[in-house]
Amino acid sequence: MTSNITRRTFLAGAAAIPALSQGQPKRVAIISTIFRLQSHAQHIGDRFIVGYPMAGEWHKPNTQVVSLYVDQKPANDLSETRAKEFGFKVYPTIAEAVCCGGSKLAVDAVLIIGEHGEYPRNDKGQILYPRFEFFEQVTKVFEADGRSVPVYNDKHLSYSFEKAKKMRDTSRRLKFPMLAGSSLPVTWRLPNLELPLGCEIEDAMMVGAGGSDPMDFHALEAMQCMMERRKGGEKGVKAVQLLEGDAVWKAGEDGKWSKELLRSALSRSDNLKGATLADGRTQDMVGNGVLPQVVKNPWAYLIEYRDGTKATMMMLTDAVADFNIAVKVKGNKDIQATQFLLTPDPNVTYSACLASKIEQMIMTGVAPYPVERTLLVSGMLEACLDSRIKGHTRLETPHLDVVYQAPKESQYMRV
Amino acid sequence: MARPKLAGVTTVYRKHSHTQHIIDRYLEGYGWNGTHHHPEMDLISLYVDQVPADDLSRDREKRFPGMKIYPTIAEALTMGTGKLAVDGVVVVGEHGDYPKTPKGQVQYPRYRFFEEIVKVFRESGKSVPMFNDKHLSWNWEWAKKMYDTSKEMGFPYMAGSSLAVTWRIPSVEFPTGARVSEALCICYGGVDSYDFHGLETLQCMVERRKGGESGVKWLQAYRGDKFWDACRDNVWPRDLMNAALCRSHTLTPARAGFNDIFPSLDDMRRLTKDPVAYRYEHADGLNSTMLLMNGLVRDFNFAARIEGTAKPFSTQMYLPMPDGRTTMANFFSPLVNNMEKMYLTGKATYPIERTLLTTGLTAAGVDSLFAGQTRLETPHLMIQYQPSKESTFWRT
Repeated sequence: MTSNITRRTFLAGAAAIPALSQGQPKRVAIISTIFRLQSHAQHIGDRFIVGYPMAGEWHKPNTQVVSLYVDQKPANDLSETRAKEFGFKVYPTIAEAVCCGGSKLAVDAVLIIGEHGEYPRNDKGQILYPRFEFFEQVTKVFEADGRSVPVYNDKHLSYSFEKAKKMRDTSRRLKFPMLAGSSLPVTWRLPNLELPLGCEIEDAMMVGAGGSDPMDFHALEAMQCMMERRKGGEKGVKAVQLLEGDAVWKAGEDGKWSKELLRSALSRSDNLKGATLADGRTQDMVGNGVLPQVVKNPWAYLIEYRDGTKATMMMLTDAVADFNIAVKVKGNKDIQATQFLLTPDPNVTYSACLASKIEQMIMTGVAPYPVERTLLVSGMLEACLDSRIKGHTRLETPHLDVVYQAPKESQYMRV
Repeated sequence: MARPKLAGVTTVYRKHSHTQHIIDRYLEGYGWNGTHHHPEMDLISLYVDQVPADDLSRDREKRFPGMKIYPTIAEALTMGTGKLAVDGVVVVGEHGDYPKTPKGQVQYPRYRFFEEIVKVFRESGKSVPMFNDKHLSWNWEWAKKMYDTSKEMGFPYMAGSSLAVTWRIPSVEFPTGARVSEALCICYGGVDSYDFHGLETLQCMVERRKGGESGVKWLQAYRGDKFWDACRDNVWPRDLMNAALCRSHTLTPARAGFNDIFPSLDDMRRLTKDPVAYRYEHADGLNSTMLLMNGLVRDFNFAARIEGTAKPFSTQMYLPMPDGRTTMANFFSPLVNNMEKMYLTGKATYPIERTLLTTGLTAAGVDSLFAGQTRLETPHLMIQYQPSKESTFWRT
C-alpha cells in the first residue's frame, strides 16, 4: 500500500518529491490552530522536525515536515521562522497544505493539532477548537484524490460527539489509519502498571486536577485506557452524571464512589495540596477528612458502562496537581494504583511518548491503539458536561454504544 | 514482636528540610504500594539541634503527643531512664545553619551526633540499628571512624541518598555481574552537596558489576575551562553524556523558540554554569564520571557502557522535587521504607560500604578541586564490597 501511495504521489508532480522507498522520509503535513512556543502543534510538531528523546537516544524520525497550516498567527507565532529554517512552507489553506501547493495529495501523513489558540466557548464550557472542520478539509482532499494517508488528531476528536463520530466514520469509509487522543495513556507510569487484558474490574477511581474541558479530557482518557482492558472489551457507556460541590461528598457518603479507591489513588500523588503546601507534610487526605474543607469546587464524573462496570473520575484541583488512578480488580486482594506521569515544562517529554506512537502509525500504516477510545472519551466528556448544565442529572447515553477491543500490547512508555 | 521505638536525632525541622521529609513520614505515614502506609513502629523521641523561627518540631510534638522532644541526644535516646530506651535511631544531619570549612564543606554535625549516640550505646551495653541521612561526614577520617565503630560494635548501619532507592525512568536495574568499562552521571547542584547524590546514583548501579565493588584508585576533579577542555578531549565518553542527557526531563532548550532540542557541545558550554566533573578509576579498571551541569539539567541521569550491548545502558533516577515541580519530595518514601525494614529485621537492606565509598569520593572531589584540580591517589578508598542481592529501588 505504501509503495502505491508514494508512487502515485511521485507522479503528482515534481513540486512534491515523495518518499520513493522505505529509506525516504515520510512527508508530513501539520494542520494546526496555532504554532507558538509550548502550543501542542509546536511541541508535538517539532518532534518530527528536530527529533525527540527516546530510549536513551535522540531519535530522529524518518519524517520530513513538508507543509504547515496555522489557523491563527498571534504576535508570538513561530510558523514562518520554523518553515524557513527547515525548508517547508506555511500554506494559507488546509487543502493547499496537504497538497503542498499542488492539486493532489502530496504527503504521507497528516497531523491535526487543534489545541491552543483563541476560540469561543459554548454554554457547556467547551472550547470550540475546529478539529472537525480541519478534518473535513483534509478528508475532502482524500476523497477528491481517491486515496488517503494516516491521520493523527490531537486530543479529543471534537467537543461534539456527533462531529467526532462523523470523523471516525469517515476514517473507516476512506480506510485510513487514524490515531487520536492524549499523551496520558502513553506516558510513564509510577509504578509500571497495566491491567491484564480480560480482567474483571470491580471499581475504578481516577483523580486529577482540572475542572475544565481541556484537562478533564486527558484524565478521562487515562482512565479509559485502563478500563478498556476489562473482560469482554469496551462495550460503551450507558449513563453519566457530573456532580459538583457538596453533592460530590454526599455521593461518597452514599457509596456512589469508593473512599478506599480515592485514598489509594491519592497515595500515588506527588502533588498533594492543603497542609502539604503550608509545611511539606505527607497526608492521608481521605483518612484525615480534610478534603471537603480543602477542595472548594470538587467535580465527580460518574460513568456507568453498558456492561454494568462503573468508574469515577474526580477533579480535586485544590487538593492534588497530578493524575492518578486506583482500580479494584476481581481476585486481587489489593487495590492497584499508579500515577500517569506528566513531566515538567518546557520539555514536556510525555509528548515524546505520544510522538513515538504517531511515528509508529506513519511508518507502519497501523494505529497502535483504536481511535474508538478517543471517540468514546470525546462523547463521555460531552455527556458529562451536558449533565452539568442540566442540573447535574444522570443522563442516559444510548449514543455512546462505542464498541472496541483494547490493544493486546501495552502502549505506555517503559523503555 | 513489639513495635520498634525510634529516636530521631536531627539538625533542623523546617519545611522541606530532610528532617521534615523523613521524620514526617514516620509520624504522618506516606503513600506506599497504593495505600497510605503507616510504619509499623513509633518515633517517640526527637532531638533537634537548631530551632529557627520557622521550626516545625514543636508543631509536630503538639500534633503527635506520642513523640517528645528532648534537649540532648543522650536524653532523646534514654528518655529519662538512664539507659538506651529505643530500638533504632534515625540521624538526619542535613540543613541548618552550620559553618563551612575553608574548602567550602558545610560542617553538618553528623560525626558529633554519631559519637553522642554510640556513647549511649556503650554506656547501656547495647546497640540498636542506626540510619544516617546522606554521607557519613564531610570529614573522611571521621566517616571512616563512624564506619569502623559500627563494625566494632556490631549494629546494623545504613546511610546515603534517596537517589539509590527512588523511581527509575525507565524502571531498570543494572544487570548483576555485567562487565562495565565506563559509567557516567549527569546531574546538577553544588559541590559537597548534590555531588554526593550523583556519586550515589553511580555507585548503586556499578556496584552490581562483575566482582562487585573493588574500590577506587584515584580521582580527578575538573571545573570551569578545564571541564570543557576535558570534555572536548573526550576524557569521559561523549556517547554516555548524550545517552544520559536523553534521559533528562529537564534539558534546558538550547535555542529560543524550541521546548526540547538536543544541545551541541557549544550549546552546553553556553548554558552550563560552573560545571564540575569528578572522574575516577576503580581498582578493576572501571572508570566513573560524575558531572554537575547546572543550567543544563535539573535531574539525575545515569549511563554506562556495558560489555556485549551495542547501545549505552541508561536511566533517570527520578526525584519528584518540591521546587515547584511537586509538593512532597516523595523520593524520601523509598528511603524511609528501606530504613523501616532495617528497624524491623535488624538487617540493612543495602551495604553501608556504598556510602562510605561515596563519602570518601565526595571529600576527594572537594580536595581535588581545592588542590588545583589535580589527580589524587585514593588508597584509602580501596573499599571492596558486594551489592545487595535484591533490588532496593522503588518500583511498586
